[in-house]
Amino acid sequence: MPDGFGTDHQRIDGRAKVTGGARYASDVVVGNVAHAWLVTSAIARGRITGFEDAEARAVPGVLEVFTHRNMQGAVAETEFFAKGGYVGSTIRPLESDQVWHAGQIVALVVADTLEAAREAAQRLRVRYAEEAPAAGFDAAGVEVVAASDAGFEDAGVGDADSAFAAAAVKVEASYSTPTQHHNPIELFTTTASWAGGKLTLHEGSQFVHGLKHGIAAQLRIDPADVHVVSPFIGGAFGARGSITQRTALVAEAARRLGRPVKLVPTRAQGFTIATYRAETRQQVKLAASRDGRLQALVHEGWEVTSRPDAYKVGGTATTSRIYACPNVRTKVHMVHADRNTPGFMRSPPELPYMFALESAMDELAYALDMDPVQLRRINDTQREPIKGLPYSSRNLVGCLDAGARAFGWERRSPAPRSMRDGEWQVGWGVATSIYPAHIGTATARVTLLPDGRARVQTAAHDVGTGAYTAIGLAAAEGLGLALERIVVELGDSDLPPAPVAGGSNTTASVCNVVIKACEEIRARRAQGQQGAIEVYAENVPEGLPPDSIGKLYQGRNALGGGLEGGKQAMAAFGAIFLEVRVHDRTREVRVPRVLGAFAAGRIVSPRQARSQLTGGLIWGIGAALHEQTEIDPRSARYMNDNMAEYLVPVNADIRQVEVLLLDEQDTQANPLGIKGIGELGNVGTNAALANAVFHATGTRPRDLPVRIEHLMA
Amino acid sequence: MTAPAESGGLERRFLLGGGAMLPLLAGTATAQPTPATPAHEGRSMEMTLQVNGQAHRLALDSRTTLLDALREHMGLTGSKKGCDQGQCGACTVLLDGRPVLACLTLAAGVGTRPVITIEGLHGRDGGLHPMQQAFLDQDAFQCGYCTPGQIISAVACVRQGHAGSAEEIREFMSGNLCRCAAYPQIVAAVQQAAPLVEQG
Ligand code: FES
Ligand code: FES
Repeated sequence: MPDGFGTDHQRIDGRAKVTGGARYASDVVVGNVAHAWLVTSAIARGRITGFEDAEARAVPGVLEVFTHRNMQGAVAETEFFAKGGYVGSTIRPLESDQVWHAGQIVALVVADTLEAAREAAQRLRVRYAEEAPAAGFDAAGVEVVAASDAGFEDAGVGDADSAFAAAAVKVEASYSTPTQHHNPIELFTTTASWAGGKLTLHEGSQFVHGLKHGIAAQLRIDPADVHVVSPFIGGAFGARGSITQRTALVAEAARRLGRPVKLVPTRAQGFTIATYRAETRQQVKLAASRDGRLQALVHEGWEVTSRPDAYKVGGTATTSRIYACPNVRTKVHMVHADRNTPGFMRSPPELPYMFALESAMDELAYALDMDPVQLRRINDTQREPIKGLPYSSRNLVGCLDAGARAFGWERRSPAPRSMRDGEWQVGWGVATSIYPAHIGTATARVTLLPDGRARVQTAAHDVGTGAYTAIGLAAAEGLGLALERIVVELGDSDLPPAPVAGGSNTTASVCNVVIKACEEIRARRAQGQQGAIEVYAENVPEGLPPDSIGKLYQGRNALGGGLEGGKQAMAAFGAIFLEVRVHDRTREVRVPRVLGAFAAGRIVSPRQARSQLTGGLIWGIGAALHEQTEIDPRSARYMNDNMAEYLVPVNADIRQVEVLLLDEQDTQANPLGIKGIGELGNVGTNAALANAVFHATGTRPRDLPVRIEHLMA
Repeated sequence: MTAPAESGGLERRFLLGGGAMLPLLAGTATAQPTPATPAHEGRSMEMTLQVNGQAHRLALDSRTTLLDALREHMGLTGSKKGCDQGQCGACTVLLDGRPVLACLTLAAGVGTRPVITIEGLHGRDGGLHPMQQAFLDQDAFQCGYCTPGQIISAVACVRQGHAGSAEEIREFMSGNLCRCAAYPQIVAAVQQAAPLVEQG
């Protein structure tokens, strides 16, 4: 029986994962490996004035203590990824005595054993000249820069401020979202080994070709001499997309020692050697006519970033384009502080910015005395309002209707505090979800063997998304084969390049190119070609430049689609319905059920799609109720940098989670009509939860996460 | 940082002449090549660990955790390191039939008690254990990194009689974090496998 798009199937990499056979980066056994341990900065701003390393060096088995004293100049300066480079932070540790943030790498100790490396790292004394750091928004010494001065376009149309002043019904409020860390369960490990001038890196990566080229630039070697191996990735969520600075240090240490080096950083170090989701502050103004039609939308945001890097979230590009509204003004500001550089974290712009917009929409619904589902229906549009681009497809209304029906929304009594169950106040909330549909330039090689088996090779990545299975199903579809006859190879920089596993583009980008290769195989077979048929294919999606193939071969992504460019706006939509219970006396918040209804184009691999969306919904609950990296305002240090105090949902936090997938055919977005789903599930879920809390309690949570103390009367 | 305390009261010191040596001395059948790991005078101990039904004779630093012994010295990398602090559950193994966190267990303290890791789990016919099959069927993982620990805990959940209701399963399984958040599917997998896993 041939398989294909939409076939319900186990993960083809599942057996390896349930038997312990899947080899993640630090699982790979490398002969004669030496172990590295990081020493990170105790201060957030200032200079290193000296090291006392005699004790560290005296630990038996220690091979070397690397600091800026012996590493200066080893790692070349490279561009920030947002400026066309590869690195997620331009702060080069071990380059000088300067400390840019707490937890910056200040030394790398290498020893024969893990235990010796750890002991020596503990025995290394570092002396600092400390300056008072600026930890975040309210600190003295931060530098505020308008994103528009850093090349970011603030979306707008009409005259929002006059329309707001003149409108009949309006709401205005400030919201905030906290610092969050990805915390994939796999640590940020790197193993580097050299042989004959060639470097092999075992490191979990969302972009193996980017890592290959970036590391080559950092180490000033030929990219052809770098091999990145990353077939399994223990969670990524954006944290493994751009290059962190630790990799070059480990590789350089291995080069100097003439021996493979393996680094397994601690959980706490992961908070400062990689990126995170920056905290935001936002202000939203909404105005409507009495019938609920939006007249004005103003959305301003402030986001923290590091001193040297202009990382911006900029979710207003999305929030300005969802609803029909003739007058829109947006503005984003970056606030440079003494922090490590933030970066992409699952649904980077949409998660924080949609929290504010969708909370404000709920506030507006109450101001209008209108059902919040109805308010979203009234303001639905098939054209985004900023440039008037048509949506390639959009079925938000279908999601709202199907979700409301399945959830039983008509049984909701609208007034706050009007529903209860014994000692629990009950609240139901709703919010819109959106995620831009991206597609990138990609390449793949497909081989059909004479015995009817096939192999797909592409340097795409399965970060847990089910990409192995989805890509296998594309080949099954294209060749008319059963999935078990197909082998998929991913996550290796020796394979034909594919884009970063980011922006939920992988399924669209890779399936389209795989189908192209399969069509060529079928054509050759029809012409009578015998034996094994191997086809290499490239796909440049409509609207992307032809030289994007060449760029991809240099480890640079070309992603198209989305809301801003091109002739149409492309996005997947959803509606999230969520129930909370808030206890009368303890004020603890429980989430007995959440339901997401999604219209996301063609669903390639339904079982894995459901898992992605389920996981996304739970991420949304975590974002609303649990997750927050706490920062000491005086020392600018992260205080809860471990898995016991950085709260994420555990099994007992999660009850019923339901995913509805609507049929949606979109022939405009890309030939296969695939939209991404990996980041759709958690967008809006935090707002649905906050809205439900308001409905239950009459208290409006505007600052995440919602905590018991916010709900004390 | 939680460096495990050096264990006291362990008499058997194995003094080596320095330099590199193979930690596996005899009696093993691990398929993985074993990295040469020098053990240093005064720190090294000789021990025999019973893992997945096989005796592994090792010379390890006395501070080596069971997790590092498995991963770095026996090539058994199914058990994962997610925190090294007893907070995530990714390193869960069965010690004497009970679930323990291998990152908080010193290898030197294991003695002769049998250790079962994900690699040692299998069904009656030698194929997948019913819990492994259930995780596969229910799509109870995404990235798969927490999965070996989840499956070991899930086996213990059933064997120790805590799989009576979804509520009970959620509670028992809450020591195993899944950042991909496959929680509902994990509960479904435990329920699927429960009738097929012996209790006690
Ligand atoms: S690694 Fe042992 S509990 Fe996390
Ligand atoms: S499957 Fe990724 S952490 Fe559980």
